[in-house]
Amino acid sequence: MNFITGKSISRRTMLRSMSGVIGLPLLDAMIPAGRLWSATAGGRAANDTRLVFIEQVHGAAGCNDWGASQNLWAPAAEGKDFDLSPTSLRSLEPFRKYLTIVTDTDSRMADAFSPEEIGGDHFRTTAVFLTQAHPKQTQGSDLHIGTSMDQLYVQRFGQETPIPSLQLTIENVDQAGGCAYGYACAYTDTVSWASPSEPLPMIRDPRAVFQQLFGAGGTPEQRAHRLRTDRSILDWMLDEITSLKRELGPADQHRVSRYIDNIRELEQRIGRIEMQNTSGEEREIPEAPVGVPDDFREHMEVMFDLQLLAFTSDTTRVFSFKLGRDASPRIYPESGSSTPFHAGSHHGGREERILDFAQINTYHVGMLPYFLEKLQATNDGDATLLDKTMIMYGSAMADPNIHNHARCPLFMVGGMNGLLEGEQHVVAPPGTPMANVMLDLLHRLGVTDIESFGNSTGTFAV
Amino acid sequence: MNSLPAALTALGVLLILAERPADPASGESREVASAAVAAPVASPGSDRAESLTGVVRVYCQVCHNDALMTGNLSLQAFEVESAPEMAETAERMIRKLRAGMMPPRGFPRPAGDTLAALAEELETRVDDAWVQDPNPGFRTFQRLNRAEYASAVDDLLGLQIDVGEFLPLDTRSANFDNIADVQAPSATLMEGYLRAANYISRVAVGDPDAESNSIRYRLPRTTSQKDRVEGAPFGTRGGVSVVHNFPADGKYVFHIQPYPAVEGEVFGRTFGNEQMEVSVDGERVALVTIDRWMSESEPTGLNVLTDSIYVRAGPRRVTAAFLRRFEGELDDLIRPIDHTLADGQIGIGYGVTTMPHLQRLSVLGPYEVTGVSDTPTRQLIFTCRPTSRDEARPCARDIVSRLASKAYRRPLDDGDIEGLMAFYDQGEGERGFEGGVQRALQAILASPHFLFRMERAPGVTPGTPYAITGADLASRLSFFLWGAPPDQQLIDAAARGELSDASGLLGQARRMLADERGAEGLAQRFGAQWLRLQDLEKIDPDALSYPYFDGTLAEAMHRETELLFANMAIEDRPVSELLTADYTFVNERLARHYGISGVTGPEFRRVRYPDDNRRGILGHGSVLTMTSHADRTSPVLRGKWVLEVLLGTPPPPPPPDVPAFEETEGADDGRFLTVRERMEIHRANPVCMSCHQLIDPVGLALENFDVTGAWRIRDEGNPVDPAGELYDGTLLTGPADLRNALLKRPEVFYRIFTENLMAYGLGRRVEYYDMPTVRRIVGAAADNDYRFSSFVLGVVESPAFRSSLVAPEAVATPAGN
Repeated sequence: MNFITGKSISRRTMLRSMSGVIGLPLLDAMIPAGRLWSATAGGRAANDTRLVFIEQVHGAAGCNDWGASQNLWAPAAEGKDFDLSPTSLRSLEPFRKYLTIVTDTDSRMADAFSPEEIGGDHFRTTAVFLTQAHPKQTQGSDLHIGTSMDQLYVQRFGQETPIPSLQLTIENVDQAGGCAYGYACAYTDTVSWASPSEPLPMIRDPRAVFQQLFGAGGTPEQRAHRLRTDRSILDWMLDEITSLKRELGPADQHRVSRYIDNIRELEQRIGRIEMQNTSGEEREIPEAPVGVPDDFREHMEVMFDLQLLAFTSDTTRVFSFKLGRDASPRIYPESGSSTPFHAGSHHGGREERILDFAQINTYHVGMLPYFLEKLQATNDGDATLLDKTMIMYGSAMADPNIHNHARCPLFMVGGMNGLLEGEQHVVAPPGTPMANVMLDLLHRLGVTDIESFGNSTGTFAV
Repeated sequence: MNSLPAALTALGVLLILAERPADPASGESREVASAAVAAPVASPGSDRAESLTGVVRVYCQVCHNDALMTGNLSLQAFEVESAPEMAETAERMIRKLRAGMMPPRGFPRPAGDTLAALAEELETRVDDAWVQDPNPGFRTFQRLNRAEYASAVDDLLGLQIDVGEFLPLDTRSANFDNIADVQAPSATLMEGYLRAANYISRVAVGDPDAESNSIRYRLPRTTSQKDRVEGAPFGTRGGVSVVHNFPADGKYVFHIQPYPAVEGEVFGRTFGNEQMEVSVDGERVALVTIDRWMSESEPTGLNVLTDSIYVRAGPRRVTAAFLRRFEGELDDLIRPIDHTLADGQIGIGYGVTTMPHLQRLSVLGPYEVTGVSDTPTRQLIFTCRPTSRDEARPCARDIVSRLASKAYRRPLDDGDIEGLMAFYDQGEGERGFEGGVQRALQAILASPHFLFRMERAPGVTPGTPYAITGADLASRLSFFLWGAPPDQQLIDAAARGELSDASGLLGQARRMLADERGAEGLAQRFGAQWLRLQDLEKIDPDALSYPYFDGTLAEAMHRETELLFANMAIEDRPVSELLTADYTFVNERLARHYGISGVTGPEFRRVRYPDDNRRGILGHGSVLTMTSHADRTSPVLRGKWVLEVLLGTPPPPPPPDVPAFEETEGADDGRFLTVRERMEIHRANPVCMSCHQLIDPVGLALENFDVTGAWRIRDEGNPVDPAGELYDGTLLTGPADLRNALLKRPEVFYRIFTENLMAYGLGRRVEYYDMPTVRRIVGAAADNDYRFSSFVLGVVESPAFRSSLVAPEAVATPAGN
């Protein structure tokens, strides 16, 4: 749980038999509505883009031939004058000026490359979404895929905030069907990869997210107290190690200097969190949230609240967020469909069942306006947070009924600091890799020196 | 008769492939009588060197010249006489010559013992030069890695902590996780140490303000849950039994999650409702029902919570296990297998084929904390109790000094103590006496003196050797032998200056080696890493072909190898017994796997092998399984393992664009081909052949062991053919021949063993300039039947262990860390 730097615990740790895991305190308080931290980001850099990468598994009803003909996912018209009303994106109508829909890109790296891989789509797709690379089929620790898009960005720009990035998830990852067909669970459990072999674990408990952002402790006093203690210990470590340095040989002194840099870096991080926690006239840190809500909407809203909190406090600028787990049997009663998610996704090509599945897609996308409204209502320097944010929403699966990966769902919301025009529906030429869109976005975001990403064949400007 | 021109025609191949035999058609190597250049063994001094240089010119330089650079090596300028100045090259030659690998098969070799004489001459010259000017080498200081940190905490506080939760994975180099120069500093690491210090100090002292937490214990799906697990009450099956550290007296809730089947139902639900018992220190505290109709589709999911249960602080054994409802095998249409979760589908099909499995136990709490009872750890910490306010600080000072001295592995000075007492005062002001001790302990655990093993260097100029001081040497010794910090006896000996002379140092080493911690420490830390037992975790034999294999069996295999190693240490057996032991250590599960009868129960015991197919580690399930693929054996991986681990001569990596084994046909004319047959098709390609000729016969000799190390006589229905010809021409017909062939050149095996032991003991890679030391250690061990202790003591006594060079600053910055 090396959350502070966003560095992963290894899969080995996660899976080691009977490992005791220090988990998440259960609390007795909830975030009271309306007590969100209002943002007045005095002195913070004004040009910093915030990124949220949202994965929803199981593709979309509109990625099936018939579903596409009914515009169940993407609208009919290209360009500006698209009509969202038949689509699963209809709840985004109020934000259409911020909306960029990219239709018909492929995630072919999630395909089976050899006979043994056939049928393992559910256990590859999540890992492919942000890497657009092909996972090595293994249940061992020799995982291999690619560095994910969010982490490529973070490795370049993430050091400016106390926490480079955070990974969140809504569903518990190690559950039914979590990993099979010879694929390690890590491929199904996370979309973020710090390197081709380093999956970053995702956090499900809002309380744990909160601790990452503001420190451990049940109350503001306890948090402040623990941070203070950590700081005084770091100070002392610095003194101790500095005095030790004198007795060492030159090579050892050199290494000690590196440790000293590390300790200073840590002090600075803690100092920034402390400052954020205590400064601010009217600013108030909310109570840490309780456990994990059973209700999907409630859980989503708390997770969005935390992301907003992180953005307004500039604690981190990059999130990846996984809304579901492959082969999940979850039922979403509010969606109007009573079919379990996975069963519903295998709609058999039957029209009424495709429509039933589309309700689930619509319900999922319908979670976004809650977050978008808050982003829009929050000023950050000269613009609203929605102007500065880019939320990418998509899946590396297309038609879940047949587990294919061509013509996948993908859209972006938010102004991305003026780098995304918005109010666009772009249809890619057949066979365009989704990686081309991602490469284009990475270039726009300033990661200019990479020439390819995943299976990209070039850039596709949106 | 084949001669040089013929050999030269093979150079095309050798250009691509380094240091490997070529010309497969020419059969075994020939000894060429070459009177003109063969070294007269008796001739002394430089004459002898000169004529041996002639041997190099004729037999080696054919490939190893400036133009060809075969194996990235040219011997064009090499003179035997100047071997000490070209020691790095000389050591490469010695290694290949001693292993009998050069010149390769198909190339002419000089007659008689000329090659041995060449190797010996090179060794003598390099070793003599080394004696004049021994180079102890250098490394930067080590930090506590995961294993060392855990044992240091256990040693200090009697607490078992899952360190993986705090510290990043250790980077391995040269097989080991304690190699100093790859222990890269990072802020993440420091943050991990900081969090660990906070957590451990609170758990150790007990925390009346403990927040509620959820601590999870997860079972891998490959764990067998058919039988009682160690530590669980009798009459139970499966589940988990752990020692859990309860931070305070209070109420705790136990959260149980069974394994789900594919669509979220309870796996094994057809078996009926199950009852699960939760016990604390063997006493049942709850009995819950696993309702077969639970499902993840429901909002409540697969979760069962106990009522809140009052538990006192301290480490206590917590077990959650199913009540056993039957004895013996389940009588059913399909006989249940141990690895019941191999296929999630079977868990919901009708007809009882399996039973529910526990996936996770979480301990939630504490709630309603009432205080902190005495725990073994608290007794270790609070050796005095203040009865008045005046006594508090002196008592705390005693406690802090004692803990810090142990943690820092040396006597303290006043500055050390005052620094820590400042933390005591701070904590005392907030939460009284115990709060103060907790804060000081937190500082101790975060102290660089605890975390780093810095070795004081005198202010001498770079390039000069200096002796490691007593306290630092004590740490070197105990982390080497025990994988743990020094005990008081060793610290005292260091303080009295007894470690500065060889006899004092060796006396301590002997004492520690005789201690059980020595055997277990070296087996679990050194032996397991040298033999790469961690790779066992990477292999998941195909569940349909090997349904009897599971994580529990793999664990037993791992333990078997450790026990053989530990036994060698305890009884001080000759190291060659690792290859030849006609006994091993098995429990019931493993005995059944090997076909050994008369072993019941989960405890390991020593048994003799019933036949001579299995001997030593080459008959161990661990080694044989971890060098296999999931669905077939791999003579290549097995051969490579032997060459690398037991002989220290790793084969070069495969050239690019070689078609994979998997691309060879698996069947011919309606018959499935054996692995051997497929190998032969694969290496019909001459590019592959030259290299595989070296590797494969070694692995093929073990073909009678299947993927999981079980003995077999058929592969895909056809008889197994383990025959082959070793790189030196020895005919192999099975595992016994392979063992004998390896022991035909025992010094090769002893040297690689010593090299590994040195690397682990020193915390650095062994370099060419260490080879004279390695040879000295092996030479000395010869006088003692190559017994285990002679090697260990040899390393301890070596200059490399007891001294160090002052290195220039530039040495310590490996790129990319």
